[in-house]
Amino acid sequence: MSRRVAVYLCHCGRNIAATVDVRAVAERLAGEAGVVLVRDYPYLCSKPGQDLIRADLEAGRAERVVVAACSPRMHEETFRRVLAEAGRNPHLLQHVNVREQCAWVHPEPAVATAKAWALVAMGVARVLRHEPLEAGEAAVERRCLVVGGGPAGLTAADTLAGAGIEVVLVERAERPGGRARALGRAFPTGEPVGPWLDALVGRVTGRPGVSVRTGARVVGVEGVPGAFRVGIVTPDGRAEETVGALVVATGYGLYAPDSPDGGRPELGYGTVPGVVTQAELEERLRSGEGPVTVGGRPVEGAVFVQCVGSRDRTAGAFHCSRVCCMVSVRQARELRARNPGARVRVLYMDLRAYSRGAEEDYEAAGREGVEFRRGGVSEVFAREGRAVVRFEDTLVGRVEEAPADLVVLACGARPRPDASEVARALGLGRGPDGFFLEAHPKLRPVEAASAGVLLAGACLGPRTLDEAVTSGRAAAARALALLLHGRLPLNPRVARVDPDRCAACGLCEAACPAGAIRPGGGLAIRRVEPGVCRGCGACAAVCPSHAVVLGHHRDDQILAEVEAGL
Amino acid sequence: MRRALVVGAGIAGIQAALDLAEAGVEVVLVERAEYVGGNMARLDKTFPTLDCSSCTLTPRTSEVGRHPRVRLLTRTEVEGVEAEGTGFRVRLRVRPRYVDPEACVACGRCAEACRLAGRVPRGFDLGLAKGAAIDLAFPQAVPAAYAVAPGRCLQLTRGRCGRDGPRCVAACDVGAIRLDEAERLEEVRVDAVVVAAGYRLYRPGGLAEGRPELGFGRYPQVVTNLQMERLLSASGPTGGEVRVGDRTPSRIVFLQCVGSRDRTAGAAHCSRVCCMASMKQALVLREKLPDAAVTVLYMDLRCFGKGYEEFLERAQRAGVVVRRGNPAEVYRRADRVAVRFEDTLLGRVEELPADLVVLAAGLRPAEGLTELARTVGVGVGPDGFLEPADRRDPAVSARPGVFLAGTCLGPMDIPDAVASGSAAAGAALARLAWGAGR
Repeated sequence: MSRRVAVYLCHCGRNIAATVDVRAVAERLAGEAGVVLVRDYPYLCSKPGQDLIRADLEAGRAERVVVAACSPRMHEETFRRVLAEAGRNPHLLQHVNVREQCAWVHPEPAVATAKAWALVAMGVARVLRHEPLEAGEAAVERRCLVVGGGPAGLTAADTLAGAGIEVVLVERAERPGGRARALGRAFPTGEPVGPWLDALVGRVTGRPGVSVRTGARVVGVEGVPGAFRVGIVTPDGRAEETVGALVVATGYGLYAPDSPDGGRPELGYGTVPGVVTQAELEERLRSGEGPVTVGGRPVEGAVFVQCVGSRDRTAGAFHCSRVCCMVSVRQARELRARNPGARVRVLYMDLRAYSRGAEEDYEAAGREGVEFRRGGVSEVFAREGRAVVRFEDTLVGRVEEAPADLVVLACGARPRPDASEVARALGLGRGPDGFFLEAHPKLRPVEAASAGVLLAGACLGPRTLDEAVTSGRAAAARALALLLHGRLPLNPRVARVDPDRCAACGLCEAACPAGAIRPGGGLAIRRVEPGVCRGCGACAAVCPSHAVVLGHHRDDQILAEVEAGL
Repeated sequence: MRRALVVGAGIAGIQAALDLAEAGVEVVLVERAEYVGGNMARLDKTFPTLDCSSCTLTPRTSEVGRHPRVRLLTRTEVEGVEAEGTGFRVRLRVRPRYVDPEACVACGRCAEACRLAGRVPRGFDLGLAKGAAIDLAFPQAVPAAYAVAPGRCLQLTRGRCGRDGPRCVAACDVGAIRLDEAERLEEVRVDAVVVAAGYRLYRPGGLAEGRPELGFGRYPQVVTNLQMERLLSASGPTGGEVRVGDRTPSRIVFLQCVGSRDRTAGAAHCSRVCCMASMKQALVLREKLPDAAVTVLYMDLRCFGKGYEEFLERAQRAGVVVRRGNPAEVYRRADRVAVRFEDTLLGRVEELPADLVVLAAGLRPAEGLTELARTVGVGVGPDGFLEPADRRDPAVSARPGVFLAGTCLGPMDIPDAVASGSAAAGAALARLAWGAGR
């Protein structure tokens, strides 16, 4: 096979070119062994940039390509596709990172330029040893498992079933609905949630392709995207479902102000009369009519305390819980309507009424006489059997006391207490806030890091009802892109075992984090399941007889790269 | 084969188009501008990760530009949507680009040759730079082809260009320029429609709704947040160097909620993204200009998304000063400007000298959204954005088969717009694939 290398140097606007002297790198590379062509371009990832590479390959100017640009995590796939489109094997590419690992971290241009040249030379040495790798395809099971039957999971199930996909919905509780069951009226429209939720549950359970398992939980996932085997524990015992994709919509937990670690006892929850959580008030508003009472007497004074357990490191969570401001605004309005003449105060840090119509709701609350005071609460205590909230009004710069017969703590959303267990069972990552982690915060907001696993609703972080529904639909769309397509390309950069060298010692099997290595054949030689292997190389590193070879990361390829760098 | 129309190729429309196409649907993606990417293409970096916007957007724009199941029509608007069977017959008006995108290699010789080179304000740079009457919005634009501004080009407006004819045509090596190209009408039949028509930015100096007291349009030191993105961008008019005239600013003040949460400016709604957009710009400015004093004047800091509160803290640690206060006025002070505002925490009126004032202008319904809504047959809410059948499920409009995505539903940030694009695609797939034998 011919081994002529074309090198493409990206400026990335000024991201690379401001520090790395791209022209100097190009000139120095011109004489490098194997290099027949060197070009630089402002944005190689753009269409004309890609076309430049494609045209060179189609004209037969080179067979192998080195791209020196951003992190391969960003655009390696882009350039692999360019090679494929030009009729080349996509693995005859080496993507060199001269942005994150060079231009952005070395302020001195001479140093950055020297390093960029070295990195590219290493890439050239490596790509000369690359081999074409062929990707197989796997069949896709046209079924989907949805974990969690709240609004997000229900919407995902409804959307999937509407598109003709068979759905298994696993719900931990005795009936679907999730925390939305506890909601009275959702802001900002003020329509009751119950009938809407019942209709959604009815539509999902009534669909012919949907089976709902209540009182059930998922205990583990095996297999590959397109053919996951999911273990479920139901009241009737263990079961296994084979599905093409998974939607995780397990919801959120709530901060407990009386929790033994990280609680806020100074707010009087459980000790001072009339102190309730936002969720408890919601339950009273939902289940009762007429004036809200405490101890049999209608509430005449109410104080909402915002950011309880949110934006507060001492309470163990720095994130904003996103919905509590708007929930309090709506509850405060309802309280004013039900208990005419009651004095209702909301003590906040920043009033975050961001959702559509929420600012208008906030404005209306102010008009209707709800008092909004910007202030931090220091303490809630009992005086003569009644609660008193001591707070600093930060706008007038004064400490005040507000007597109240109802104190509402707007407790923040937290990851569910079993989040780590679920994460382990389903192989999910978690962010610093403890919620499940999406594959890319902007462009892949409903995808998990592993293919075929989607995330929806408040298990990703606090959100409103409409946002939960939207993410349920979005997760379904991403699942459908896989499920309706019917076939899934496999990653060819996986390990394989040379049976002539394998001594069947089993070290690789123990080292594999993906469970991809199993005894294969009568001699108990090990075998790698290509659809399961993630290409991490742990097996290749532990094999004492060098029988495991990781395609695209062979010893000779890596050593040549290192050699060129020294 | 099922087909869908997606109206608008910003990030939400692109996401919807790609989701539909991946699931096997043929997509016609129409965009009013000459390029795809919408307003996200103008952004320098995005919060809270500080990823460069074009680095995250470009893979999607190039994918949508070459996907075998996506047909992209730029400079195209929807003229009519009639029900036909279970689907729609859609009339499209395709305005001429005057450049054949298949032939153009984006070499730029035409723009250099143009008689008006350096004299036409560049719309993409929001008036901060001037170009030619034939232009490419930005280097990574899809389609990667120049386009002629019909209201500027001498040949098109006056019927002649100099004594010896249009120089651009003579300069083009590949014969891509077609100044005789005519507008055409096209009809497509589709089974579903996704509307992702985007937003426009509030005009702080406008006559009807503006806030002239903030000095926008009067002082060169006063810019909008979107103009600030162009000033920060490496592909912007200053190459990423922040300058006002030839001066590097040392005192920068951000004014929040300009044209948002303000009925006198015609909008009660919160624009949802501006707090974080300003926080991001303020942090980037502190990094670029370590000696500059950067102050953000706000009403409420609405940093509610994932990782946003943490970003706010990071910006403050980097020296960004946030002060709760309402700006009253921006006026000239020697060769700079000054911002008069009330610090509502200190209860005191102060004057802040500044050599750059950034107005966090709010998000408004896109130009012509009401007409588009009428054409497509969907409702408009009291805030002027599109109204879904039920606000709890915003992707679904009241007209069966028509779905809604992105900021035409109201202000949203990029993650929410992407999720909303996918959601509209999901809702459309549930309709398209039903009964399709799957």
